[in-house]
Amino acid sequence: MSFLRVVQLDDKFGPFVAFREALGFVPNLLRAQTLLPRVIEAQAKLESAVRLRAGAISRIQKERILLSVAADRQDIYCVADGSRALSSLGMSDGQIDDLLNKDCHENRSAADLACLQFCLKLSRQAPSVRSEDIEGLRECGLDDESILEAVVLTALAVYRGTLSVGLGPEPDFAARKITSRRVDPPRGVGSQSFLPGSHDASQRKGPYVPAPYLSPKTFAPFSIVQKSHGFIPNFFRSQTLRPDLLEAELDAVDRVLLPEDVLTRAQKECILLAVSAANLNSYCVAMHCNLLRGLGMSAEEGDQIAVDYHLSSLSEADRALLDFAVKLGVRFSEFSSEDIVNLRRFGFTEEQILECEVVIALNNFANTLQMGLGIAPDFEPPLVLEQNKVHLPAPASRPIEGGFVTRSPTEVRDPDAGLVAQAQGGQLEAFEELVRRHSQLIYRSLVAILGDPVEAQDAMQDALLSAFQHIAGFQGRSKFSTWLVSIARNTAFQRLRGRKEVESLNEGDYEENRDFRPRQVKAWQDNPEQFYSKSEVRQLVERGILGLPAKYRAVVMLRDIEQLSTDEVSRQLGLSVPTVKIRLLRGRLMLREWLSPHFTTSVRRATS
Amino acid sequence: MITCDEFFVEFGDYLENRVSPEIRKELELHVSQCRVCHVLYDSSCKTVKIVTESGSFDLPKNVSDPIIDRVMARLRKDRS
Repeated sequence: MSFLRVVQLDDKFGPFVAFREALGFVPNLLRAQTLLPRVIEAQAKLESAVRLRAGAISRIQKERILLSVAADRQDIYCVADGSRALSSLGMSDGQIDDLLNKDCHENRSAADLACLQFCLKLSRQAPSVRSEDIEGLRECGLDDESILEAVVLTALAVYRGTLSVGLGPEPDFAARKITSRRVDPPRGVGSQSFLPGSHDASQRKGPYVPAPYLSPKTFAPFSIVQKSHGFIPNFFRSQTLRPDLLEAELDAVDRVLLPEDVLTRAQKECILLAVSAANLNSYCVAMHCNLLRGLGMSAEEGDQIAVDYHLSSLSEADRALLDFAVKLGVRFSEFSSEDIVNLRRFGFTEEQILECEVVIALNNFANTLQMGLGIAPDFEPPLVLEQNKVHLPAPASRPIEGGFVTRSPTEVRDPDAGLVAQAQGGQLEAFEELVRRHSQLIYRSLVAILGDPVEAQDAMQDALLSAFQHIAGFQGRSKFSTWLVSIARNTAFQRLRGRKEVESLNEGDYEENRDFRPRQVKAWQDNPEQFYSKSEVRQLVERGILGLPAKYRAVVMLRDIEQLSTDEVSRQLGLSVPTVKIRLLRGRLMLREWLSPHFTTSVRRATS
Repeated sequence: MITCDEFFVEFGDYLENRVSPEIRKELELHVSQCRVCHVLYDSSCKTVKIVTESGSFDLPKNVSDPIIDRVMARLRKDRS
């Protein structure tokens, strides 16, 4: 009946009851997932919110879109399922056959046709969608809610299509004949905006639909995301126009990605990262690199998985899992039950394979949705992926071979690269130039951890000697300056261990989740620093920073004193961006408390 | 209008100028009407400005050069 083992679930199982009521049957696509009831619940909730409820888009138009996307993907299962749904909504067999096999649009409005075309483009060529496509929809009369629904519906079609290929369920009804066809643009709509292919990054200006503020206090799922991720990703913030859809998506994340009972969180994040990279979705690549950093993986290892996981330090089994994921997620037409047999050989259980497939489906859902809504990135993508952003022309020039981006991670553009090569070749002058160039950064990194400028000067010599000793092993998987900071950090930690005063910089301590609210609320003077000399201000700031706990001091030093970007600080310190942001805010607020007595309006300086 | 708690959740990104136009509008409205959050925002902006412009922990050349010179002398000696 399907590629994976199926178990019997109680007839009263909620999602089955709901589907029986809505469609008159329980789809085999759901029955094929009975090994993990929670993933059926996730899909049922998504389908209920996105597909089965009439919204800004009518039920029948939703089913037409699902059917057209399924036919476009040559997905026999979903075509049979969609045909049955349309039939239950009153369409005759003849009308459904016309929809599948003819360019028959006489009775369709321009808005319906434009919407259908857009959904097909999004499902086929998501990276080529741009703001002009959305404007085209608006010109045809679609409002923001309809556009949002169309994008989420297409994402659901891709989710279902991915599972249909991966699970191979028996069609619930007689298979229908599909001929390959393309829907032409409606009259009066600029045809070039609907053609996949040429596109330009400068024209991708998202987000495409407005997103009203939604409070974590009134919308409980946001409060949960805030706690579990440390922030609310733009991915969710961009859909606040429809909290009902958001709730279903967050429920799916909760049921599919967060449990650790089958695959680990790290395995799932690696799947999401590898498939997003193969889909050229730099937003999702940056997101999952960061989430992996939060799970303790180094930035370089995350970058390596995105670029080519075959060269990563993952186990052979996990690399096979990613081969499987990329094939099902991106090259689905090549996928067969043989791929499942192969994965079993690596020791993966039926439940793990099922969960892997659902994670891939959810990934494709997210990739489609992000590109369809033009969601702005929360993080910078890895440097090595910068040239492979989602705007690259596809598919002809898509730089993928065997499903992967083929740039070498050693191609990080680094202004130090030339000198580093010379230094690695033994040229002392080149090494000297490099350390003079970065002496401030090394020193400040040492102060950040040691909390003592004099000791930092002393430790600098050790750090420089250590850098020279290890420079031959530097592989260019990060910027040279990042590597130098890691050397300085290790040197500083060695000294702290000697003093037995190690203050951990690692993620995940209780402190991260505790609220921190300022106590001083007296107004400050305008330009308060003018009442002090430059050296007095500097001393005040230095004393304040040295008084911060190490984990806040390190972040404030690199962000506000060294003025690195938040992403760069996160790489330098091996922390996720959300953790850096939390620590930066707390560090700044602590400094504010420290400076307040000197700068509030009640303070009058003798010199003023 | 959003509450002070809601303001505080967005505060870090607001200081970094990394909020969407819709959220910025809500935050600006709150700051214009809540004295405590206005003071918090104003003084935090000033803190960031003072800290970033303070020139703190500058290692003067007359301190860094001798350190680097000593290291290079040692490396050259080891090589010879």
